[in-house]
Amino acid sequence: MRNLINFLLKYNSLIIFLILEGVAFYLIGSDNSYHNSRIIKGVRGLTTGIERRASSVRTYFILREINQTLASENIYLRNRIEQLEKKENQLFFYVSDSINQQQYHYLSAEVIDNSVNRQKNYFTLNKGVKHGLTVDMAVTSGDAVAGVIVGCSENFSVVMSLLNLDFRLSARIKSNGYFGSLTWDGRDYSHATLSEIPQHLTINPGDTIETTGYSAIFPEGMMVGTISGFEKTGSDFYKITVFLSADFKKLHFVNVIGNLKKTEQLELEKQFQ
Amino acid sequence: MINNTLRFGFIFILLILFQVLLFNNIQFSGYVNPYVYIMFILLLPVELPAWLLLILSFLTGLVIDFFSGSLGMHTASSVLAGFVRPYVLQILSPRDGYEPGSEPSMIIYGFRWFLIYTLIIVLIHHTALFYLEVFRFTEFFRTLLRVLLSSLFSVTFILLIEHFRKGR
Repeated sequence: MRNLINFLLKYNSLIIFLILEGVAFYLIGSDNSYHNSRIIKGVRGLTTGIERRASSVRTYFILREINQTLASENIYLRNRIEQLEKKENQLFFYVSDSINQQQYHYLSAEVIDNSVNRQKNYFTLNKGVKHGLTVDMAVTSGDAVAGVIVGCSENFSVVMSLLNLDFRLSARIKSNGYFGSLTWDGRDYSHATLSEIPQHLTINPGDTIETTGYSAIFPEGMMVGTISGFEKTGSDFYKITVFLSADFKKLHFVNVIGNLKKTEQLELEKQFQ
Repeated sequence: MINNTLRFGFIFILLILFQVLLFNNIQFSGYVNPYVYIMFILLLPVELPAWLLLILSFLTGLVIDFFSGSLGMHTASSVLAGFVRPYVLQILSPRDGYEPGSEPSMIIYGFRWFLIYTLIIVLIHHTALFYLEVFRFTEFFRTLLRVLLSSLFSVTFILLIEHFRKGR
């Protein structure tokens, strides 16, 4: 017994060290899934207050760039109105016709906390349930895919970034319509990988990759990125490297897109599965 | 004693705010990310018992983890830094030992001593932190480059802060 006590006294710092490291590694392990770490959720409310202040200072320094993106988006929308007005003049329909009901509604939000250098990146938005945001809404930066909301509190939402090893997106090549699955490999914040594209196609670097709209989260035809390279893998599929359109390092003002007919689509699909 | 506790409490809060509000926003090209909060562990008194040092390191890491949303990573590497500190102090001890009740500071032990002391602990801390973050060895040299560059910046900032602390 005395030997044991002597041993403990002699190595007490080593034992405390091992215990504390054990706790730390346990925390690392439990952090893997966002929903598992309830502690962090509670404390997040505390730290986001500070983050929000810091972010409002940060915004000042990038006002010029924000203006530029807003201006270019304005031009794009003006052009779009021009196109649609022409169409509307040709057709005519009742405004109250339920076929022409809008399917997606858009909200804007600000990113107040963001990271690109982890393996599982999340970012926080300054709006929550109170402003009409819910889980599984799409988040885009300008016209480009940025992520999907995974958790909402009263005033904040946490978004799983496209730069997350768990993120999957159904995407297609715009020129030929073939679709595959888009993932991030955890290396570079400006590139992702599109797989499951069959090898009999010819792939042209520079081609646009867009969303398919199959998942009922993202509308069809949202920009994802452009093809920057490809290689043939052992199986019959290409592994295509996609240069992402959204600049995740500069993410600040984002659009949140909700699908009004999502429950209808999912319920119908469920009947046949 | 109480005076000391208050003083270190103040240093602790100041360094955490520095880290969270200023240095966490510095990310040059995804490679460099200075972590100066480790300075708190560097500055604690030489004669502080090992167990207290470990617990304080643990708390420091935990607070930083909460603010950067990366539960556990900073905690693990800070505890490691707190664990190796007594050994580093032992290796670097001056010929006639440390002055009783003193703190490892530039003003008492000189610039060269403080530089070596800071460099060793920051390197150990950053190595643990960055490898825990990527959690694999496939891009060993890329991570190593991040460790070295970030350590360079952290040490520079810590020396600057220490310099101004000395001047006050």
